[in-house]
Amino acid sequence: MNYLAKPIANPVVVLREEFDDWAVLFNPDTADAVGINPVGVTVWKQMDGTRSIEDIVSVVQSNFEDVPEAVHEEIVAFVQMLEKNGFVGLALKSNI
Amino acid sequence: MREQRSIDTKPVTSRLMRTPRSIDIEITARCNLRCRYCYFFNNPAMEYRDLPANEWLDLFDELGSLGVMQVTLAGGEPFIRTDLTEILESIVRNRMRFSLLSNGALIDDRIASFIAGTGRCDYVQISVDGSSSKIHDSCRGEGSFDGAIRGIRTLQRNRVNVAVRVTLHRNNVCDLENITKFLLNDLGLASFSTNSAGYMGACRLNSADLLLNTQDRQTAMTTLLSLNEIFQGRISANAGPLAEGRMWRRMEDARSQGAPSFSNGGRLTGCGCTSSKLAVRSDGVIVPCNMLAHIELGRINQNCISEIWQHNHDLNRLRNRHTISLSDFSFCDGCSYISYCTGNCPGLAYSIMGNAYHPSPDACFRRFIEANGTIP
Ligand code: SF4
Ligand code: SF4
Repeated sequence: MNYLAKPIANPVVVLREEFDDWAVLFNPDTADAVGINPVGVTVWKQMDGTRSIEDIVSVVQSNFEDVPEAVHEEIVAFVQMLEKNGFVGLALKSNI
Repeated sequence: MREQRSIDTKPVTSRLMRTPRSIDIEITARCNLRCRYCYFFNNPAMEYRDLPANEWLDLFDELGSLGVMQVTLAGGEPFIRTDLTEILESIVRNRMRFSLLSNGALIDDRIASFIAGTGRCDYVQISVDGSSSKIHDSCRGEGSFDGAIRGIRTLQRNRVNVAVRVTLHRNNVCDLENITKFLLNDLGLASFSTNSAGYMGACRLNSADLLLNTQDRQTAMTTLLSLNEIFQGRISANAGPLAEGRMWRRMEDARSQGAPSFSNGGRLTGCGCTSSKLAVRSDGVIVPCNMLAHIELGRINQNCISEIWQHNHDLNRLRNRHTISLSDFSFCDGCSYISYCTGNCPGLAYSIMGNAYHPSPDACFRRFIEANGTIP
């Protein structure tokens, strides 16, 4: 996955915002759930297949203070984990 | 960024989550059986009537929009509803999972394969109270054992996850070893759960010959603890003799060693359900729990679930039950287990004492000891 990939949230996955901005992503087809922090929630909400990882990183940088240098890698790792577990798909290569 | 894989281990917080994670629904007030210890029937708080499917469908739309994850359908007997597939489709459409609690007799291949096809069923739980029709039917009525086993086999044939619940009462304590072998060996279940008949609903009319006495409870506890060792933890319990046996052992060890209080000890902490779930009666009344059916919080499709969840006074009062000290009750005066005791289930406390804000005598360890009970 590179920074130009455009992830799409699996539409069956439920974002349950539980405490403040903390949330659970729940896939009812597999019963898998992942707890995510406020940055994760922001990333999740951007994944509509039109925004690249690069775009999403920019949104995170403009919404949060003290964003670490490694934010690119962290977001890629996060999206890869979600993809591996069926929470996210990637837009077709031709769009990348 | 990713915090952890399992929602069960999400950090504990005393704050309230925005919406409930799951809802227990009595989807019908009808049942093909009349079990002698049924908690559901003979409850003066209940209005025994069914709602049309469209009322439930509207509720599921609301639950879906709130991000509720799981719905448990009970009753009565949920499979008595001829519109059950329509109800389940709506749960699936709203991105939730479901489970069903049943006596098994009305399950056929058609509905079992429908359930399997949804891919969203956590389990169908069937009640089995004996290893033979003689014992099972003694409380559930003639033919009910055959119906339950037929139901289990139908579900298994259709690859639906089957759970079995064994409810202990005076007539089946002696059958526990046979029940365990029957369920785990003959039916090939991975596990089963147990509880015991409680002083609620129809059981109140039959309590003298159904509720476990001290001797029965002790026998059940000893047998279950030993069977569970033999069968390597394949028997579970949240209430009833197996759960009490474990809890009371811990309490006795702590008391005899003068151990510090348990983190949930000394206060009415016996139930944490109100921080994660709600329940709905068959007539559409929203309640904190099916065991507290008299606490009416509102009505589906008339009152907003998230509003009730966050602001209802009676619900918040129940949530704060944990702040009440056991030493405030004359019932617990002088008890040496107080620092290790949770005060037990509020539903049974209400049913026995008429007060949910009281320790329940049903699982009171001191009472058991005073009646010459000993823990294994
Ligand atoms: S216990 Fe279950 S099967 Fe028996 S009468 Fe009650 S609802 Fe029906
Ligand atoms: S009297 Fe019973 S309920 Fe009260 S603290 Fe002792 S064991 Fe618990």
